[in-house]
Amino acid sequence: MQNNKTPKQQNTALLKNIVNWLQTLFRSKNIIFWILICAFPLFTFLTDGISSMFSMLGINLTLPSGDYILYIGVQVCVYILLAIGLNIVCGYTGLLELGYVGFYLVGGYTAGLLMRHAGVPYWLILPIAVLNGALWGLIRGAPTLKLTGDYFAIVTFGFAEVLFRIVKNEIWLIRDINGFVKDIPRASVFVWELNQNWQHFYHILILTGLVIFVSYRLENSRIGRAWIAIREDEQAAASMGINVSRYKSLAFAISAAIGALGGAFLAQFWGTLSAKTFEFWESILILCMVILGGKGSIKGSIIGAIIIGSMSEVLREILLRFPPDYAGARYLIFGIILVLLMRFRPAGLIFKRS
Amino acid sequence: MEQFFQQLINGIVLGGIYALIAVGYTMVYGIIQLINFAHGEIFMLGAYIAFTLVMFFPIPLWVAILVSMLFCAGVGMLMDVVAYKPLRTAPRLSALITAIGVSIGLQNLARMIWGAKPQSFSEDTLPKFFQQINPLVEPTSFLNIFGVSFTENAIQFSEGVSLAYLDLTIIILAIVLMVGLNRLVSLTKIGKAMRACAQNRVAANLMGIKTNRVIAITFAIGSALGAVAGVMVGVRENISPLMGFHKGVAAFAAAVLGGIGNITGAMIGGLLMGLAEVFGAGYIDSFIEFVCNNIGLGQFYEDEKISHSYGSGYRVAISYIVMIIVILIRPTGLFGKSSAHRA
Amino acid sequence: MRNWLIALLIVGLISLWGCQPSDKKAEVTTETEANTDETEETQELTEQVKVAVAGPFTGTAAAFGEMIERGAKLKAKQINEAGGINGRKLVLTFGDDAGTDKEAKLVATRFATDKEILAVVGHFNSSCSLAGKDIYKANGIVELSPGSTNVSVCEGSDWTFRNLYRDDFQGTFIARYIKNILTKYKSVAVLFDNDDYGRGLRDAFTAEAKNIDLEVVASVAYDRENTDFSTQLTKIKSKKPGVIFISGLYEQAALIVKQARKLGIRSLFFGADGIDSPDFLKNAGISAEGTYLTTPFTFGAGGEEAAKVATAFEAEFGVPPDTWAALTYDAMGMIAEAIEKTYNKDAALAENRKAIRDHLASLDTPEEGYKGITGLTYFDINGDTVNKPAYVKVVIDGKYTTAPKQMPNMDAFE
Repeated sequence: MQNNKTPKQQNTALLKNIVNWLQTLFRSKNIIFWILICAFPLFTFLTDGISSMFSMLGINLTLPSGDYILYIGVQVCVYILLAIGLNIVCGYTGLLELGYVGFYLVGGYTAGLLMRHAGVPYWLILPIAVLNGALWGLIRGAPTLKLTGDYFAIVTFGFAEVLFRIVKNEIWLIRDINGFVKDIPRASVFVWELNQNWQHFYHILILTGLVIFVSYRLENSRIGRAWIAIREDEQAAASMGINVSRYKSLAFAISAAIGALGGAFLAQFWGTLSAKTFEFWESILILCMVILGGKGSIKGSIIGAIIIGSMSEVLREILLRFPPDYAGARYLIFGIILVLLMRFRPAGLIFKRS
Repeated sequence: MEQFFQQLINGIVLGGIYALIAVGYTMVYGIIQLINFAHGEIFMLGAYIAFTLVMFFPIPLWVAILVSMLFCAGVGMLMDVVAYKPLRTAPRLSALITAIGVSIGLQNLARMIWGAKPQSFSEDTLPKFFQQINPLVEPTSFLNIFGVSFTENAIQFSEGVSLAYLDLTIIILAIVLMVGLNRLVSLTKIGKAMRACAQNRVAANLMGIKTNRVIAITFAIGSALGAVAGVMVGVRENISPLMGFHKGVAAFAAAVLGGIGNITGAMIGGLLMGLAEVFGAGYIDSFIEFVCNNIGLGQFYEDEKISHSYGSGYRVAISYIVMIIVILIRPTGLFGKSSAHRA
Repeated sequence: MRNWLIALLIVGLISLWGCQPSDKKAEVTTETEANTDETEETQELTEQVKVAVAGPFTGTAAAFGEMIERGAKLKAKQINEAGGINGRKLVLTFGDDAGTDKEAKLVATRFATDKEILAVVGHFNSSCSLAGKDIYKANGIVELSPGSTNVSVCEGSDWTFRNLYRDDFQGTFIARYIKNILTKYKSVAVLFDNDDYGRGLRDAFTAEAKNIDLEVVASVAYDRENTDFSTQLTKIKSKKPGVIFISGLYEQAALIVKQARKLGIRSLFFGADGIDSPDFLKNAGISAEGTYLTTPFTFGAGGEEAAKVATAFEAEFGVPPDTWAALTYDAMGMIAEAIEKTYNKDAALAENRKAIRDHLASLDTPEEGYKGITGLTYFDINGDTVNKPAYVKVVIDGKYTTAPKQMPNMDAFE
């Protein structure tokens, strides 16, 4: 059906699409959002300025430093990227995935080990990590195509757990125990090493923007509609001529590739990796972001990631103002907030009616 | 061979514990299709309640177990009413996030109340035959039948095979409770109501079954069984705020392995997971060594070019691998019916 | 829409309250203090110096974090009761890293870029110390770890120290002790924690055992999150070792000993400083009887000072201190001493932080070293602590007792 256009026509159509998309992007409401995001590092410098101004006046504002806020910003951006990646499997094809951290791990260790021990430059690493992630997505995807619901969930969980054990135990591969990789070089542009937090911020912002773009385009494409059809009714979709296995595999591969991209960024951003980062809990956290934001919605994933990704730090900052005895209550409050949010917005913060 | 039998015993005990916890997951799932992540925390609470009771009151352990069962049943019902009931009509995954939230909350609450340090039941609060004996003194056996000797705290089948009374108690408790539960579900009225709810909640409600009450009772029973498992693990191993998480995840996997929603499946699944874990951890290294020796890599293995700790390193992973293989062969678990519950 | 407005309102309120000038809050606290005890000293302590403590106060390693918190609190309390640091109140800020790299990095950034914090005591997990290392280095603030055992924690950074010694020495020591003193036992099985500490200790032990012809019949690992060790023990039991060397920490060791006795294993247990904790005795009960262990210090027999601290600790928190509490207590003491000697009120924060580092780095010989309850601490060029001597203790009647035979000079038997 789609092949009755000539390549040239396809190209112009693609160009038109991009132009269209750019127009939506720069629509008045969205552009403010983008400007605000891009200016985020400036705001954090401002906080520093304000608190130093006040301290000159003799008033000691106990504001956290701008660098710290920026750091949280980078972390949240990584989570946005991951949440959007997970949203492809969880939101579009509607499968419950409990092992997303496995791909994050694959990307992280691909980048970490190759950069540290083989000296491969970061910009070459990115495609390698992404492809490797996609490969693992397919490896895991192939046998699980027929599984539904919680059986799929538990297999994905088991898979991530096995990967976690592998980096923890295969000392010959990691060259240290507990999956430690140290002194991973930073990414650099020509001769400048990207080692400031604001540089990391724009770096991840570009990657996240790219992923949002891809995800948005996918959602409104033939592929995306096929996924949603599979989610709504797999058998009906199959009988309408959708190749269910192929589209599901594609979803797994793309989702895994995005996870690996996040991992690769993380490796150079942190400079160290350890197996503990990729525990089960992290998968759960990302899943919470997707569901809390609203399954199947890109905006929802972004908002969910912002809320959950920064919540533990916001709570830390608040609890620092209490006597130290309350510092341990951070995750208790975290849990309560999760319960309350789901209680009052059971379908997620942003949801699409289907 | 002695080692094999000893490992078999270890596996059965662990499997019994997993089965007791897995039943809680599977019962709740069967009725409201919710993965109750907080069930592991109920298990942990059960252990802490009994621990606190025997610490502060001069009551025997079995009374503490009963009280702890009642308490946990109450907590389970409360959890259902407060957290899950408002979400009955919401998308299924929302309830899952609520369950995760409850789980995180309870885990941290327990840490704040009882401290993060693992604790053990002190010896004098336990029945005599659960207590440890002085290792420097030769154990006395007061009964000896056909080479099987009964000492103060264990049955000694031979020199290398022994079964502690504590472990025996766990096995017996697991069997009794499981059989009892099975009878309850298949013979009694409330059991019938449960099965009806599991089939179709709306229809059951229309037929005059008070579904909310049935769900509450399900939570209560599952939690009570979890509490028993919690206390037994607490006595056998130790009690910490994280015990629910570690054992809970494995038990949940066991429930899925057996076919989630199916009580017999949970029992068999639990046993299988326990055995897989123990035999995996116990024999993988010997197996690798055996292979290496036979293909002429003996020295290579000896020099630790190949890790000697695969068994314990992959201990948990082995049981998951077994689970994955079973699920891939039988996509609905061992005893599950193919139902199209989708996320 | 209304929901969003409410949410915004709440966030706004919280941030307003958060931005409330800290002077006002400080006033409140000093007032309450003045009310509670009316000694003149407390009123003098209006100026304060701030030190941060970072550790896993939640998450899987929370049991260690709890002791680290208590050790630090006790030291700070004692310092403040004794008039503070040069008349300044020592104020602690606690940062929870949950035992994960992610939060360790955030905590490190939070503390390193703070405008008051002079030094950081922490982190506990090696992975966390490593994760924070670069950030502390870039911002020029001391990181003094009371619990990270990985070999490379201190390498490559002038700002990272630890008052915990490396394990090579103890592993060697134990192998020789078994060979030379416990001559009755011919073979050893090693049961080790699959982590930095356990592995490092085991590697040193097996290397030395090979050297001196001590037969190691089995070397089995376990994972720290496990609580059921019967599988590993069954494996060891079939090898019938004379001694089982537990290369791990006390929580698991207590379970191992208990479960081993239940399985009918009657070998002698030997452990290192990782199992030197009252909790080991409490949790293992009578099964611990006859267990040997090495330790660089003893709360009971080691020194009066240590015993006094142990009593104060128990009075304060209701539980006896363990190794990590003691190490944090000492780490806190070292930082306090450094602040006392170098703090200059008028100097910039960066200079004060640098001065603390320089002071710690100058503790590089036994004479210069800091005498704490865990023994003498001084640093090598990396910031690692140089070996502390080892004593051997044995559990008799539920108490740690100094072993009848010590091996003061390790090389004397060669």
